[in-house]
Amino acid sequence: MKPGTLVLVVGLMLGAPLPASAGSPAVDYMLECQGCHLPDGAGAPDVPDLRNTVGRFLAVPGGRAYLVQVPGSSQSALGDAELAAVLNWMVTNFDPGTASAGFQPFDGEEISTLRVAPLVDVEGVRRGLVSQFATD
Amino acid sequence: MKRLDAFFDGAARNLARRTSRRSFLGQLGAALLGGAALPLLPVGRAAGAAGEPTGNPEDCAYWRYCAMDGFLASCCGGSHRSCPPGTEMSPVTWLGTCRNPEDGRDYVISYNDCCGKDICGKCVCMRHEGDRPVYIPSRNNDIVWCMGDAGLVYNSTVAIVVGVASEDE
Repeated sequence: MKPGTLVLVVGLMLGAPLPASAGSPAVDYMLECQGCHLPDGAGAPDVPDLRNTVGRFLAVPGGRAYLVQVPGSSQSALGDAELAAVLNWMVTNFDPGTASAGFQPFDGEEISTLRVAPLVDVEGVRRGLVSQFATD
Repeated sequence: MKRLDAFFDGAARNLARRTSRRSFLGQLGAALLGGAALPLLPVGRAAGAAGEPTGNPEDCAYWRYCAMDGFLASCCGGSHRSCPPGTEMSPVTWLGTCRNPEDGRDYVISYNDCCGKDICGKCVCMRHEGDRPVYIPSRNNDIVWCMGDAGLVYNSTVAIVVGVASEDE
């Protein structure tokens, strides 16, 4: 074993696990979303599963607005830029297929425009969007 | 010069007689193991307090219970992070942050309800730090999260550390 390798190994052993930084999208997800959507995005009865699904809304007309206007997003305690970061984080983490296929990230400006429009019939709008998902 | 040469010659031979490559490997192994064990020492544990608790988890004043509203699972046959036997932990829950006085950092706490068995009734703990009215459901601790598969009857509540919310620079 070379001395350099030894230093590296000991350094790795002494290193503490990396904590999420203050106000990171991961922590905001924990505090604002995880209670119902669960740590892995799997959801629960009556709570949608985000895994390999959340990004599919982006491919149908109105889906991008829906992700912002759905009450869990629009009525969360997050500011516009923070909400943008959490939505981007969710697409990247729970729907990596979409994220790698030219996903245009949200930004605070887009959020502030979409967020103010109320979504009255949440379930109806959602059903309409899901019915347009490509069947594959 | 000859004496110096003889001295180092003798010292080197002596060293070679007393030690071996194996003993070097043994010492290297001990050093690596020691290095790995260092974070487990109490000092390291206090810094990364997500592990074992400091303080009494059966006491409502315990730092993790800063926004608790219910009966402590730790007094009902469970612990601060596991539900009593015969109950099931509701996966759906609410989360908040509590500051650990040991290291001054804020941790994300998941207050999962234990469900499926009658109310425990021991160690009632009502602390409402950061609690918001019920019309902000994700910030309200009056809601019983026993729904769905876990059964609708509320028994007690745990407080699980699920992450670090802030770094105290």
